[in-house]
Amino acid sequence: MHPFHATLRRGFGRPFDELRHELDRLWAPLTAAPPLHGWSTVQRSPRFPAVNLSESADAFVVEAELPGLASEQLDVTVCGDELVISGSRPEATSPAENSEATRVWHRRERGSGTFERRLALPASVDGQRVEAQLVDGVLRVTCPKAIEAKPRKITVQAS
Amino acid sequence: MHHTTNATHQHPVPTESAPTGKLTYSPNVDICDMGQEVTLVADVPGAKPDQIDIRYEEGVLTLHAPVESRELPGQPLRQEYGIGDYRRSFRIGEGFDPSQITAEARHGVLTIHLPRLAATQPRKIAVTSA
Repeated sequence: MHPFHATLRRGFGRPFDELRHELDRLWAPLTAAPPLHGWSTVQRSPRFPAVNLSESADAFVVEAELPGLASEQLDVTVCGDELVISGSRPEATSPAENSEATRVWHRRERGSGTFERRLALPASVDGQRVEAQLVDGVLRVTCPKAIEAKPRKITVQAS
Repeated sequence: MHHTTNATHQHPVPTESAPTGKLTYSPNVDICDMGQEVTLVADVPGAKPDQIDIRYEEGVLTLHAPVESRELPGQPLRQEYGIGDYRRSFRIGEGFDPSQITAEARHGVLTIHLPRLAATQPRKIAVTSA
């Protein structure tokens, strides 16, 4: 993690972050262990998990489908206006149950392994009040807007 | 330093429009033959375990996992996936005992166990000498 990450302001830190992510993405296929599907998976799903995002007056709500993950296998962090969803999904059948020799895979579409998704929210959120729920493999993160990001009605005073 | 996704699933694409107008999705699956049984694992996030319907008829296994619509509050800003029921069929052949098929669902993942009939399991025949 970037040591200055927490203090960098929007517009200043972002180009460097983007460059870093770009470089990470370029390096990932070379340094990561080969996925069970073969290398093509890297290109096939560049962004995991897919997310839906909405905005209400008080909060941004992010939803992601993360089947097969228990809450302890998932990390949700918020820093300023950036939401990070990361974790690791275990394989369908643990190798201990059955040795590889007796297993014949007919389809392997689900995939497993580690993931990280960084999402820039449109405005700063109040990190202290962010709430995340995981129900039946669906994650919902409610991010209340920071006070400075909320619309405020200014009373015009007559002189 | 982190690695971006190296092996995670592709989001399912809508396959058909159900009569209700809601889209239906084909879930991603793993199918593994373990000899005595075939195990099918499907990603069905958002489906309630008690509403999942599994049928095995004439060598075809069909799963249908209804998903209740869920809307995010406020105005949508980004929509990377759609929400709808999961439905998919597999031709797995005869040789499975319908009464022995079991299934469980947890964390949005459905696992179906299909034990093979004893008669269809590979058997080594001993050759006796006269």
